[in-house]
Amino acid sequence: MSARRSLSAEWLLLPAIAFTTVVFGWPLLILLRMSFNQHPPDGIYVEAWSLENYVAVLTEPANLSAVFDTLYIALVTAVVTVAAAFLFAQFVWLRQGKRRAMLLALALGPMLVSEISVIIGWRMVLPSNGLLSWSLFASGLIDRKFNLLGTEFAAVLGLAYISMPYCFFTILGVLNGIDRTLLTASGDLGASPWRTFFKVLLPLAKGGIASAFTQAFVFTMGIYATTNALGPDGLWTVGYEIQRQMLSRRDWPLASALAVVLVLLIALVALGVQALRHRKAPRHG
Amino acid sequence: MSASATALSLKHIVKRYGSYVAVDGIDLDVGQGEFLTLLGPSGCGKTTTLRMIGGMERPDAGTIEIKGRRVDRLPSHKRDTATVFQSGALFPHMTVAENVAYGLKMRGVPNGEIGPRVTRMLDVVRMGDFAGRYPADMSGGQRQRVALARAMVVEPGILLFDEPMSALDLKLKLELRAEIRRLHEEMGFTAVFVTHDQGEAMTLSDRVAVLNKGRIEQIAPPVEVFERPASEFVYTFVGESCVLELGGRPLGEGARLGPVPAGRQRLYLRPHHLHVVEAEGQDNSIRATVTAVEYMGGGYRIHAETPAGNLFFDTSRAPVIGPDHILAIGWSSADATYFPAS
Repeated sequence: MSARRSLSAEWLLLPAIAFTTVVFGWPLLILLRMSFNQHPPDGIYVEAWSLENYVAVLTEPANLSAVFDTLYIALVTAVVTVAAAFLFAQFVWLRQGKRRAMLLALALGPMLVSEISVIIGWRMVLPSNGLLSWSLFASGLIDRKFNLLGTEFAAVLGLAYISMPYCFFTILGVLNGIDRTLLTASGDLGASPWRTFFKVLLPLAKGGIASAFTQAFVFTMGIYATTNALGPDGLWTVGYEIQRQMLSRRDWPLASALAVVLVLLIALVALGVQALRHRKAPRHG
Repeated sequence: MSASATALSLKHIVKRYGSYVAVDGIDLDVGQGEFLTLLGPSGCGKTTTLRMIGGMERPDAGTIEIKGRRVDRLPSHKRDTATVFQSGALFPHMTVAENVAYGLKMRGVPNGEIGPRVTRMLDVVRMGDFAGRYPADMSGGQRQRVALARAMVVEPGILLFDEPMSALDLKLKLELRAEIRRLHEEMGFTAVFVTHDQGEAMTLSDRVAVLNKGRIEQIAPPVEVFERPASEFVYTFVGESCVLELGGRPLGEGARLGPVPAGRQRLYLRPHHLHVVEAEGQDNSIRATVTAVEYMGGGYRIHAETPAGNLFFDTSRAPVIGPDHILAIGWSSADATYFPAS
């Protein structure tokens, strides 16, 4: 009886599996196949079974630095986003009613505008004649204008802005599952608010933090427009490099190899975070 | 159990939420080792009062002293109180032993002392075999025992109970009640216990404070609260009661009443003081028409109506009467309580 039921459950999964295989698996296989082809000087690709593209990705300084820059910017962004999202989520979690609804609407804000609008928006805020520097200067708070556009700070800011809502809602979802009386109980037993945060709230929200981190990290690894438009010229991400190889240099095999490496890195990070999270699995009620 | 020294003292405590007054000037002294219960319906301010003692709410006016030290401006973690919460509020990511050790760690008890104290306290609440378990793997009753151990182990000046049994089923409730009684006798802690269950209040407490609308209506030992209620509210809230309105419509043929105070009065009676009158000569009796007979499991409850109000009483024998029977119901003057009709 139960064997039959689980069998029928598997059958029910079939459409989803078939869809995933066709829509995601098939292009990925084509991508993988392309990464072993060769790039002739006068064309796009010739069929081959060569590892030269991977050698190029992993040995050429320009490509390597793109990989490291991507990892670096994604890591910084993920940490910043998760920290900000956590603080905001905690703030919303401890509030009720109308105030809470308004804050939730506010959190959805970044999702209402496209990546391009986000870029344009920050480009109006960050330069030395932009909104931020200009208004501080005009109000007499500073005596020299400053430029933030084209800095790593700007890149991280833009990326964090885009991935913030996803992280926020993931963390809020986990916080909503935590009994607030636990915080009261911790204080009642003599723990200061700080110790309550580190001993009770943080451990209980660990799962949500890990998911949010993975989300922000993976998301940021794939974005290149924001990084490119707000960050410094020297900051070349893998995403940007793929785009350049694909569209400008017409080197599809190299672009494919870069993409495969990017996918593997993302998978590795996601698995690593999962492993960390389950290392000492507490049981929850 | 008389109080030798004052462990907790509340002076004219007031708490408002907007225009709503939750606690309206409460004065309360709890003696060292005393078990005091705050009893009242929901919304009477009992939980708010408890939370102000524990430091989870701040009073708008008044002072709170624990062992002579003023604490009403101190945050929760700096007060010498520990609470057993309604939900237990055990930390789900910690084992039973870690939960019980938590308060000791936070209060800076030396590491070497923590282990033995945790073990001893778990033995006291008979949860010694559960030290390594997580809260999710235990029943509600077991969790409440651990919550009890977690609060008691820090040896707080005042142990606070926030309706700790209301989420349990009847059997576990009675078990835990007996357990708390035993622990109080053995350890002699000072306790403030909040409940809306008068059975808990009666069996556990040295004194009961009956609260209504943010005020204390009566504060006295359980027997006194039940036998000599200070107000109409206390009479009706504690124990079952019947009420007859006097001075309005005539009581009907054959009604006899003992001495009644002057003015319009309400006469309160406990059902267990009522009985069927067979012959004349009773101090108090009234004719009533039976409206319903209910089987109560082990006995019967008879509902009857009179011109002045409805009465009910219990009898253990299967009654020969049914609806529409007319009978005379009597009581003795000593059992009659009069309050002026408002």
